[in-house]
Amino acid sequence: MKRFVYINDDEASKELCCDNRISNTKYNLWNFFPKNLLEQFSRFMNQYFLLIACLQLWSLITPVNPASTWGPLIFIFAVSASKEAWDDYHRYLSDKKANEREVWIVKHGIKKHIQAQDIQVGNIVWLRENDEVPCDLVLLGTSDPQGVCYVETAALDGETDLKTRVIPSACVGIDLELLHKMKGVIECPIPDKDIRRFDANMRLFPPFIDNDVCSLTIKNTLLQSCYLRNTEWACGVSVYTGNQTKLGMCRGVAEPKLTAMDAMIDKLTGAIFVFQIVVVLVLGVAGNVWKDTEARKQWYVQYPEEAPWYELLVIPLRFELLCSIMIPISIKVSLDLVKGLYAKFIEWDVEMVDQETGTASYAANTAISEDLGQVEYILTDKTGTLTDNKMIFRRCCIGGIFYGNENGDALKDTQLLDAITSGSTDVIRFLTVMAICNTVIPVRSKAGEIIYKAQSQDEDALVAAAAKLHMVFVGKNANRLELMFNGVMIRYEVLEILEFTSDRKRMSVVVRDCQNGKIILLSKGADESILPSACAGQQTRTIAEAVEHYAQLGLRTLCLAWRELEEDEYLEWSVKFKEASSVLVDREWRIAEVCQRLEHDLYILGVTAIEDRLQDGVPETIETLRKAGINFWMLTGDKQNTAIQIALSCNFISPEPKGQLLLIDGKSEEDVSRSLERVLLTMRTTTSEPKDVAFVVDGWALEIALKHHRKDFVELAILSRTAICCRVTPSQKAQLVEILKSCDYRTLAIGDGGNDVRMIQQADIGVGISGREGLQAARAADYSIGRFRFLKRLILVHGRYSYNRTAFLSQYSFYKSLLICFIQIFFSFISGVSGTSLFNSVSLMAYNVFYTSVPVLVSVIDKDLSETTVMQHPQILFYCQAGRLLNPSTFAGWFGRSLFHAIVVFVITIHAYAYEKSEMEELGMVALSGCIWLQAFVVAQETNSFTVLQHLSIWGNLVGFYVINFLFSAIPSSGMYTIMFRLCSQPSYWITMFLIVGAGMGPIFALKYYRYTYRPSKINILQQAERMGGPILTLGNIETQPRTIIEKDVSPISIMSTQPKNRSPVYEPLLSESPNAIRRSFGPGTPFEFFQSQSRLSSSSGYTRNCKDN
Amino acid sequence: MPSNTASSSSAPAGSADSSSSRTKSKRPKYSKFTQQELPACKPILTPGWVILTFLVISVIFIPLGVVSLFASQDVVEIVDRYDNDCVPTPARANKVAYIQGGADKSCNRTLVVPKKMKQPIYVYYQLENFYQNHRRYVKSRSDAQLRSVKDENQIDACKPEDDANGRPIVPCGLIAWSLFNDTYALSKNNQPLNVSKRGIAWKSDREHKFGKNVFPKNFQTGNLTGGGKLDENKSLSEQEDLIVWMRTAALPTFRKLYGKIESDLEKGDTINVILKNNYNTYSFDGKKKLVLSTTSWLGGKNDFLGIAYLTVGGICFFLALVFTIMYLVKPRRLGDPTYLSWNRVPGGGR
Repeated sequence: MKRFVYINDDEASKELCCDNRISNTKYNLWNFFPKNLLEQFSRFMNQYFLLIACLQLWSLITPVNPASTWGPLIFIFAVSASKEAWDDYHRYLSDKKANEREVWIVKHGIKKHIQAQDIQVGNIVWLRENDEVPCDLVLLGTSDPQGVCYVETAALDGETDLKTRVIPSACVGIDLELLHKMKGVIECPIPDKDIRRFDANMRLFPPFIDNDVCSLTIKNTLLQSCYLRNTEWACGVSVYTGNQTKLGMCRGVAEPKLTAMDAMIDKLTGAIFVFQIVVVLVLGVAGNVWKDTEARKQWYVQYPEEAPWYELLVIPLRFELLCSIMIPISIKVSLDLVKGLYAKFIEWDVEMVDQETGTASYAANTAISEDLGQVEYILTDKTGTLTDNKMIFRRCCIGGIFYGNENGDALKDTQLLDAITSGSTDVIRFLTVMAICNTVIPVRSKAGEIIYKAQSQDEDALVAAAAKLHMVFVGKNANRLELMFNGVMIRYEVLEILEFTSDRKRMSVVVRDCQNGKIILLSKGADESILPSACAGQQTRTIAEAVEHYAQLGLRTLCLAWRELEEDEYLEWSVKFKEASSVLVDREWRIAEVCQRLEHDLYILGVTAIEDRLQDGVPETIETLRKAGINFWMLTGDKQNTAIQIALSCNFISPEPKGQLLLIDGKSEEDVSRSLERVLLTMRTTTSEPKDVAFVVDGWALEIALKHHRKDFVELAILSRTAICCRVTPSQKAQLVEILKSCDYRTLAIGDGGNDVRMIQQADIGVGISGREGLQAARAADYSIGRFRFLKRLILVHGRYSYNRTAFLSQYSFYKSLLICFIQIFFSFISGVSGTSLFNSVSLMAYNVFYTSVPVLVSVIDKDLSETTVMQHPQILFYCQAGRLLNPSTFAGWFGRSLFHAIVVFVITIHAYAYEKSEMEELGMVALSGCIWLQAFVVAQETNSFTVLQHLSIWGNLVGFYVINFLFSAIPSSGMYTIMFRLCSQPSYWITMFLIVGAGMGPIFALKYYRYTYRPSKINILQQAERMGGPILTLGNIETQPRTIIEKDVSPISIMSTQPKNRSPVYEPLLSESPNAIRRSFGPGTPFEFFQSQSRLSSSSGYTRNCKDN
Repeated sequence: MPSNTASSSSAPAGSADSSSSRTKSKRPKYSKFTQQELPACKPILTPGWVILTFLVISVIFIPLGVVSLFASQDVVEIVDRYDNDCVPTPARANKVAYIQGGADKSCNRTLVVPKKMKQPIYVYYQLENFYQNHRRYVKSRSDAQLRSVKDENQIDACKPEDDANGRPIVPCGLIAWSLFNDTYALSKNNQPLNVSKRGIAWKSDREHKFGKNVFPKNFQTGNLTGGGKLDENKSLSEQEDLIVWMRTAALPTFRKLYGKIESDLEKGDTINVILKNNYNTYSFDGKKKLVLSTTSWLGGKNDFLGIAYLTVGGICFFLALVFTIMYLVKPRRLGDPTYLSWNRVPGGGR
C-alpha cells in the first residue's frame, strides 16, 4: 500500500487522511457509560456480583435484604467509573494542549498561523529553532545553505545527541520564496511504526527542476516530537499526521495491567466459585429430597401439593444466595483501598526523593504494587538510567606518563599543564587529536561562548577537555578547521573522514596542516583496534597497561594515534577510497578494507580515559537486586562496547574469570544463527557452573534471531540471567519484554527516554526515571522515580511489603467469608436443608463491611521484617517472587482454618445454647460474636508488628462490634431488639465466647509455634534474629548465586582483581574449544528438564515446606 | 556546558514543565506514619512465652470447667416424654388419626421429685424434630401486624396463612397458626400446684413487639386448623403463650417455657399432671416432653460447657507439656543464622 501526498495541494490531499489531532483518550462523552460498564462487567467477579444482586430481587429465595448486595455493588462501580473518568479527562486535557499548539504553515502560498491539530497531510510546515515537530515531515528546506539541519530525537529513540537531517537532492538550491509555492508529489508507504526507515520517492512538479524521481530516506524526514536544534528554520511537508505518525503508531495502547497476584486471586476466586456451585448443588438436591420426604409430613410448614415449575430451583437458588458471600464483595473494595495506600507510601517515602531536584517518586498506577515484589526480570535502559549521561574526561596517559592519577582529574594535573606549556610534542599532538579527530561542530553562541555539538558524548567530552587544556577547537568552516592553541590560531584542512563503524571500532581523519602542508592521519579508537596497527618498534606495553588500568577503574578508554602521510601515499589511497565509497555492493566492507590500508604503522600517542558517570549507588543496587534473585537485562540503543563497559562497571556482568560474555553476531543470517546456536550450547552447559554468563546481542542479530530462531532465542532468554542487547530499537525492546512475559516471568522495565516508552508500557511494571531526557518515560510509566538506586527500595521495601500485605489481606478476606458461610451451611443441616439464614441481614452486611474489614485494613502497616533486615538479606524476596505467601497451598491452609473455626463456633454454639436457650436471634448473635472474637485473634496472631493503630483497630473493632449491636438492640422495631443486652448479661454468653476463642485459637497457635520454631521459614529465622538482636550483621558475605550448586568460597570479585591476561571482557568460546562441554549438555539431564528447574529456580530451592499456610 | 544548554532548551513541552513543577510541590513531608515507621511492638514466639501461655490457659480453663460442671450438676431436672404414652393403646396404630380425631385427649402423668427443687421451678414443654427454623416457617410472620392495629393488612410475608375469607388473619402466618396447645394441670401430693403463666414471655416482647390493643381476629377460622386458638378478648401482649411460641427456636429440639412454679418441691414429692394432648407431632414423629427444671447461674442442666472447658484446658496443658519436653529434648536456637545460608540450594533444601 502506498500513499500519495501532494505537496501544498489542499484539494488533492483532503480525502486522504485525518487531521493532526492527537487523541489518547479511551472514552468520549457519549460512549463512556456503556463502554465503561461493559469493561467492568468483563471481569468475572463483577458479573458474579451482578447475578447475585439480581437473584436477590426475588423475594422467595432471598435470605437477606437485597440492599445488602446492591448498595456495595453500586458503590464499587461508581468508584471505578469515576476513577476511569478522571484519568481519561486528564488524558484529554494533555492532548488538547498538544493539539492547540500554534504552528506556522503555508497555505495558498501565504504563511499562516494555525493550531497543530489543523495540519493536513501535504501542508508545508515551518519550524524555527527549538520548535517541536508537530507531525511527520519530509524536509524541503532549511536555513543552512547545504540543506542540513539538526534534530534532537530524544523523545523518539532516546538518543540525546543531535542528528543531522538533509533536504532531498531535488530540493537543493530552491529559493526561500519559491518554497512557498512548491508543488509536487511524494509517494510514501502507509503509516507504520518503524522510526528507522522511510522508503519514499518524491517528484517535484514544474517549474521546479525536472520530473526526476528523487528517493527519500529517513535522513530526509523530521519526525513528530523531535526538536529542531542549531538551525534557524526548516520547513517540510507533512506526510503523516495525528495518530498516524511514526510516534503515534509506536505509542500503542497501554493495556490495563493485572498483577500476578490479581491473577492468583482470580484463580482462587474461580476455585471458590466451583466449590460454591458444588455445595449449592449438593445442598439443593438434599434440600429437595428432604422437602419431599420430611417436610411434607410437617404440617406446620404447609408445603402445597401443587408446586409451580420452578419449585425445584428454589432451594438450590436459596443456597446459592446463602453461599454467595463465600466470594466476598468487600475484597475488591479493600484491595483497591490498600493498593491506593501502597502507592501513597511510595509517594510519601522521603528516602526516595531525589535530593538534587527534589522530585518525589510518583505512582501513576496504583494497582500493581504487589507485582514489584514479584519481579523476576528487570530490563533496563542504559543511558540516563544507569548512568548520569554525562561524559567527563578524567585521565590520560601520554607517552607512558600517567596524568590525573593523583587527583583523579587530568585537567587539574599540574604535570600535564606544565607539559603543555613547555610544548612537549607528544602532548600537543595528543591534544590535537582530541580536538579534531571527530565530527564535532563548534557553534558560537550569542554570548560568544563556543558550544560543541557532538554526535557522541565521548567526542564532546574530549573536545571540551582539549579546550580546557588550551587547545580550543574554535570553528569549522566546510573543510577548514580552526584551532586556537595558547592564543595561536592553527588551521587544518580536512581531507577525508574515515568514519567510525562498530566493526572497525576506530575512526580517523586525514587532515592537511595548513601551516606546513603536511598530511596527517589522526586516529582514535578502541585499544584492540588501534594497538595492532602500531608502528613497528613502538612499545605498546605501557599503553596496554594504561588501558588495562583505566578499564579496571571503569573508565571508557580510547587510544589516540598519529601518522604523517606522504603526499603520494595519500593521493594513491584517496583514489581507492573514492572508488570504494561509490561501490554499490558491500560498500561498508570495501571502505573498511581501504581504511585498513591507511591505518597502519600508527604512532600511538596515548590513552584517554573518560568517565561516563554511573548514577550513585547503581552497582550496589544491581548487586542487591541480583542477590534477591532478579535477573537483569540491559537494553540499549548504544554501541556494544559502551554497553559492555557500563555493564562491567555496574556489577551487571562480572569480568573474565568469573563471568563470561557470549556474543551473538554475524555478518549474514547464517552467521547469526550459527552464533546463536553456539551461544545456546555454551549457555546450556555453563548454567550449571558457578559462572556469570551473559549474552550480548545487537539489534540486527536480534531481528534475525527473533524472525527465524524465535524458539532458540526464547530458550536462551530463559537460560540467561543477564543479557546485553545493544543497538536495539524501541519496538525491539518491547519485543524482548514480550518474550520474557510469554515465558511467564514478571518483568520490570526501567528507562528514562522516549525510546523506552513502549518497553515500559509493555512490561508488567514500567518504571520511568524522571531524569534529564524529559518526562516522556516517566509519564508513560507506572512508577516514576528520581534515581536508579531507588529501585532497590521500591522493590525490596515497597514491593515486598505490598505483596505480603496483599497476600494476607486477600486470604483473610476469603477466610472470614468462608467462616460465616460454613456456619450457614452447617446450620442448614439442622434447619431442614431449607436455606434459612442463621444470621440476620444487618449482621451479614455489617460482618463484611465493618466487623471484619477494619482490623485487616490496618495490616497495610504491618511489617514482617524491618527494612534494614530486608536490605541486608535481599534473598528473602524469593518468597514473594515464587508466590510463596499466596498460592493454592497457603490458601488451602486458610480454607482449612475457616472450616475448623466454623466447626468450633457452630458446635459450641448449638451445644451451649441448646434447649430453652435455643432462640433464633440469640443463637445467631452468639455464633456471630464467636466469629468476631475469633477473627480478632486471628488478625492479632498474623500480625507481625503491633503499632498503636493495630491495637486500636483489632481491639477497638471488637468493642465497636458490641457498640453497634447495642445500638441495634436498642431499636424496638429491629429484629434483634434487646438481644445483645440479654446476652451480655448472661454469664453463659461470656463463658461460651472464651471457650470458642480457646478452642479455636489454641490448636492454631500451637501449630504456628511449632512451625515457627521447628520448621521455620527464612522469614521466621530473620524475624527471630532481628528481634532477639542476634548477629544478623555477620551474614553479609553469603554466596549469592542461587543457581550455584558447588559451594565455592568466592569473595566478591571486583573489576580490580581481574588478571591482566584476561583484559578483554569479551570471550567467545569456539565450538571446537569445548567439545566436552557440548556433549555434557546432551547428557543425562536433558536440556528441557534443566531449564524447567532453571525457570523456577527459586521454587525448587529450599523453601517448599515452609509455606506460610497456617 | 553544552549539555546544560541542551537540556534547558528542551523544556518547551508545556506539559513536561507543569508536571515537573507538580512533582516538586508534592515533596513529601516526613511523618512516622507516612514513612511506615510507627513504633511497633514485635513479639516473637519464644518457647517460654508459648509454654507459659498454654499453661495459663489450662490453669484458667480447668477450674472454669469444674465450676461449670458443678453448676450444671446442681440443676434438678425432671423430664417426662408423654407423646407416646398419652395415646391410648388401641389408637397407637394410627396416632395421626387419633390426634386429629375428636376423642378426649386427656392424659395423666405422675412425676417423682428426685431431689429438693428450689423455686422458681420452670415448667417447659420440649419438642423434638420440630423445625421452627424452617425457612418457610420462620419467615411466615408479620411483625408490623403484631405491633399495631393499623398495620393489620401487612400480611405479605404470612402466606399461606395470610387471610381467611378475604380478611386478614391476626396474628397471621404459619408460626402463630401452629401455636402449641397442649395444656398441663399440675398437682403436688394431690394438692393443686399453681403454675404461674405470668411473665413467661420476654418483657421486651410484651411491651414492644406485641401490641396492647391488637386483638386476635379471624384466627384459626380457615379451612385448616393448625394449633391452639386464642382468646379474642385478650390483646396479643397478654397472650404470653403465643409470644413465647413466636420466639422461634434455632434448633429442631427446643424447650419453651410453659409456666413457673413459685414454691419449693421436696425430694420424694409426687407430682400429678393432667395434660391435654392436643398438639400433633405424630405426623412427623416429633417427641413431646414435659420438663420441670431449676436453674443455676449458667442456665439449665447442660454439661457441655463444663466438659468442653475441661477438654480444652486439658489439651492446653498437654500442649504445654509437649512443648516443654520438645524444648528440653531438642532445643533450638531461635534466629540461628546457620539456618539461613541461601546457597543450600537447589538440591539441598528439598
